[in-house]
Amino acid sequence: MRERRTWYRDPEWRQELRRGARAALPAAPGIVAWGVVTGVAMVKSGLAVPWAILISLTVYAGSAQLASLPLIAAAQPFWIVALAGFVTNMRFFIYSASLRRWFEAYSLRRRAVLGYFTGDFTFAMFMQRVTREGEFAHRDAWFLGACGFNWLVWQVASIVGIVAATAVPTEWGLQFAGTLALLALAIPACLQWPALAGAAVAAPVAVFARGLPFGLGLLIGIIAGIAAAVLVDAFVAQRKAIQQEQPP
Amino acid sequence: VNIYLLLITLGMILATFLTRAALLLVGQRSRPSPRIEAALRFAPVCALAALIAPEIVVRSGTVDLSFANPHLVAAVAAAAFFLWKRSMVGCIVVGLLVITAFRFAAGG
Repeated sequence: MRERRTWYRDPEWRQELRRGARAALPAAPGIVAWGVVTGVAMVKSGLAVPWAILISLTVYAGSAQLASLPLIAAAQPFWIVALAGFVTNMRFFIYSASLRRWFEAYSLRRRAVLGYFTGDFTFAMFMQRVTREGEFAHRDAWFLGACGFNWLVWQVASIVGIVAATAVPTEWGLQFAGTLALLALAIPACLQWPALAGAAVAAPVAVFARGLPFGLGLLIGIIAGIAAAVLVDAFVAQRKAIQQEQPP
Repeated sequence: VNIYLLLITLGMILATFLTRAALLLVGQRSRPSPRIEAALRFAPVCALAALIAPEIVVRSGTVDLSFANPHLVAAVAAAAFFLWKRSMVGCIVVGLLVITAFRFAAGG
């Protein structure tokens, strides 16, 4: 009971919250660009402004929102739209499977909140930090700080896009800022052979499977990449073992 | 109230929550095997690669690996800048500058 009331007053917990937000800061230009573009797309597809704002604030899943727009415009049954959103989001099953072991010690409610606010950026950033430092203290605060900051920036940008849809020039290609921010996250992660092999397989598979519905190509790319990374990892481990057995 | 859009919103909230939180909520009760845990180490880098690759190389529906593709040139320049300076903001700025240069070169 005592713990439940005071966790957010703990200065160390708050410090980690701020650190998480600061860690997410460099990605903000990318988030802004994507948020604005998603907001514009929602209104231009015919969604009324109040509905677009409500969906942005509650659904909080950019890729699924974009995937749902043509289905809504075509007046597909609501469960088809929800199913499409579910399939588009399936990469988050892989993300949450990776996050699970780091958050299993926290309360159910805490885990529900941490899960809901997970994004592509914050997942990759968090995994980089735990890979470096292991189970650091108050990692829930760090993750919440990064995700909360990300959420706020995304919502402001998305609502700007919704309200000013006709004034925003999407043909400038500024939404590429989101891709560039992800690129900056990917490069340092590629500096080991197994990870590089994973990326080198995931990328072309995702490109060639991009025509599949509901972003399934993305999911297949991720799974193929993980399989390739595991194979190369086993190969590297085996070669190390052989070298240790037979010193030159 | 538009019931259709309300149902869609609720369904999408559920889809967001289920995919992101379900595996966190089962917690200690269903740990994946150590082999799967080890494989998941590679999930972030593979997800990033799969997310960005189509955005970079696909241009109006087809794969364009030539230097006439602004996104490809921008990504290469941004990656080179990042390897040099290790700055995410710099990486974004360089990439956007290249895209903008292409726009001007194409005549506006």
